[in-house]
Amino acid sequence: MLLLLQTVVNGVLLGGIYAAYSAGFSLIFGVMGIINIAHGELVMLGAFSTYWMFTLFKIDPFISLPISLVLLFGIGYLLQKFIFNRVVEAPSIMSYIATFGVHLIIANLALLLWTADFRSITTSYSGIHLNLGGVIIPYARLVTFFLAFVVIIGLYIFLYKTDTGRAIQATAQDKEVARLMGVNVYRIYAITFAIGAAITGIAGSLISTYFIIYPQMGLPYTIIAFCVVVLGGMGYIPGALWGGLILGVVESLTATYLSAGLSVAITFILLFFMLIFRPAGIVGKGIIE
Amino acid sequence: MAFLEAKKVSKFFGALAAVSEIDFTLEKGEILGMIGPNGSGKTTLFNVIVGVYPPDRGKILFSGKDISGKKPHKICHLGITKTSQIVQPFTSMTVLENVMIGGMFGKGLTLSKAKEKAKEFIDFVGLSKYLDEPSGKITVASRRRLELARALATEPEIILLDENMAGLTPWEIDEVLELLRKVNKDMGITLFVVEHVMRAVMGISERIIVLNYGEKIAEGSPEEVAKDPAVIEAYLGEKYA
Amino acid sequence: MEKKIFSKRNITLFFLILAIILILPLFVHGYLLRMLALIFMWIGLTACWNIIAGYTGYIDFGSVGYFGIGSYVTAILMTKAKMAFLPSLVFSGIISASFAIPIGIPTLRLRGAYFGIATLAFAEAMKQVVLELDRVAHINFFGGSHGITLPIGPGNEFFYYVMFTLMFMVMAVTLWIERSRFGYSLKAIHEAENTAELVGVNTLFAKTTAYTISAFFLGMFGATEAYWVTYITPNDVFNIHVTIQMVIMTLLGGMGTVMGPIVGGSFLTIISEILWARFIYTYMILLGIIILIVIIFMPKGIVGTIRGLVIKKKVT
Repeated sequence: MLLLLQTVVNGVLLGGIYAAYSAGFSLIFGVMGIINIAHGELVMLGAFSTYWMFTLFKIDPFISLPISLVLLFGIGYLLQKFIFNRVVEAPSIMSYIATFGVHLIIANLALLLWTADFRSITTSYSGIHLNLGGVIIPYARLVTFFLAFVVIIGLYIFLYKTDTGRAIQATAQDKEVARLMGVNVYRIYAITFAIGAAITGIAGSLISTYFIIYPQMGLPYTIIAFCVVVLGGMGYIPGALWGGLILGVVESLTATYLSAGLSVAITFILLFFMLIFRPAGIVGKGIIE
Repeated sequence: MAFLEAKKVSKFFGALAAVSEIDFTLEKGEILGMIGPNGSGKTTLFNVIVGVYPPDRGKILFSGKDISGKKPHKICHLGITKTSQIVQPFTSMTVLENVMIGGMFGKGLTLSKAKEKAKEFIDFVGLSKYLDEPSGKITVASRRRLELARALATEPEIILLDENMAGLTPWEIDEVLELLRKVNKDMGITLFVVEHVMRAVMGISERIIVLNYGEKIAEGSPEEVAKDPAVIEAYLGEKYA
Repeated sequence: MEKKIFSKRNITLFFLILAIILILPLFVHGYLLRMLALIFMWIGLTACWNIIAGYTGYIDFGSVGYFGIGSYVTAILMTKAKMAFLPSLVFSGIISASFAIPIGIPTLRLRGAYFGIATLAFAEAMKQVVLELDRVAHINFFGGSHGITLPIGPGNEFFYYVMFTLMFMVMAVTLWIERSRFGYSLKAIHEAENTAELVGVNTLFAKTTAYTISAFFLGMFGATEAYWVTYITPNDVFNIHVTIQMVIMTLLGGMGTVMGPIVGGSFLTIISEILWARFIYTYMILLGIIILIVIIFMPKGIVGTIRGLVIKKKVT
């Protein structure tokens, strides 16, 4: 019973982080219809910026969050402005492949610069944890979990309560109408991508506090983001939360009761059947083409 | 026994009934019109007939046989096809190739036989001079004729025409009407026409049904329908008030 | 649209090239021959991907799944059942194809990105199952992450001919599709699937057929590659980069054309052979840059762009 409880708690904590880095993926898809294969690279860049800040300047990972946010916002803006805006009107295959090109460039530049070594951050609070009647919750993970929530809620409020957020929504719903209302669609796209990248960067920073990081870590993260977003409903931001939690718990249960290696296979089988039977996601609010 | 018959057909999108308990009959060889304000369920009803959506309730009978829930290509093989409101030619193919698709897959002809037949239909709709032109490059009026030729190439018994005259000039509309009369009289194809251009649908149809909010509110000859108070309120009222 | 593909001149040229390719191993050996066999393989793989993605527009991100299935079928048949290579090869194709039918029917109902993700999920799930099944079920079948070592095969000449034959078959099928009724149905699906269905195209059947043909050949290529390298692991034969290479080569050459895979496949194989071994990361970065340049400046691929230039010249 305790094992089951611990497994579920681990799953929920993992799910929170899944949700945080998938929300940006969902946002980018929802607004521009781009499946961003380079999404995992944004996670990687966030993680490495925190890592270097910590290793070189002894800046605590939680303090460096705003820095990776700003950094990734900038990278995201430039990527959309100079690359993806040129293909966003073309058939969607073109944008997938462009994001794939970006994936290759970023991942391999990182390999050239930082080598393929596995790295991790060990802080003074890395080992300490909360013990709730036998269920162990590391503080770093707990804080990460709440920050992940804050990020998603923040994004939600931004989209519904600010002018820029409303302009993004209008563009997502009907870009021609948005254009007629005087919205600069390309600029909105660049801002959207920048925001998506920024929140993904924060998630990457958080991940670096307890997972091993390396330049090639991106692709698995992209694939998990796919799964999370399909589970929750493509383009429906709060769905990332549902998708993240479900996936986190399923993976955790598989790892405990079957085999850690099979958890990835189970994820994909789950994804496969979701796509076929409920393409709009668990809550059914996703975008179906 | 009616040629095509709908029995209490309903189709829901979520909680919304796009088409609700609709009955109609279509007799062999006639031209039936359908009118109604925007969003009244005309296109949905067409899509249910040709199998794009299965009906949630009710049945559609073709020559007495239940065809509801069959896929569009099956229904096409049985003899019912549709032209769409938004023209969708296979843009990278030529006009000839577009029409050949209809013959090859709707009628099951071989490639060379389909080509031969396609030329006849293209000639019939008056597009011969665009035979080898990519279909993406011809005018909207020509594309509408192309849709008709492609539908004819499947050698159907019934064609559903969904706003085939939208965006045409009055002069072009007269030409299309003439063409449709020929399709009906000379080829013996039964037509079911949805049209916004009142003059066109009133002029060509022998009988008209009127939809509003997914329900059938009137049925009769064009003159009867035009005088029906419910129709005036729902449709003409909105349009001419 | 009367393309004179079978003109007298083209037929002569075709037999000349065929003869050169067939007698080449008499004069060329070692590295160069291996390289040519590799080019044949990539052209063939790219052509397989082109059958489903180029003609129907369904972007398959899981093609490597069938390549991997083919590899493992041959590896298992040759080691466990002591079967000879050629029958194993045929079994690989058949088993790959028989996976494609139940996978294709549900996934090909999905449109756009959803199909891509579902096929990606299929290929990754296959990899994980092969990787983990032995450990979980306590058996010794797939060999887990250690993979399977196949019997040592014949020399490069043999694989040169096998790869060429397979490539030739895929190209012949593509050429047939290009000019057949079936090809028209695929192109109609690509252009406007709903309309295709309305005028009588059984779209699901056509798509599934194309997908299965593609899987059949992918499986046979996987089988040949397994025997060639004599050692396979799940991480190698189910590597997503294999799919990605197919995507890029098709895109480089031009989607939905017969020539596209030939141009894209040979171009990229040569570049990768020059750069891969020595500067792997630089190669990958360069690949990324090439992709972006092609996407942004010549979206119709090399073949399409050249064709466009030629047409322009003729007009002016």
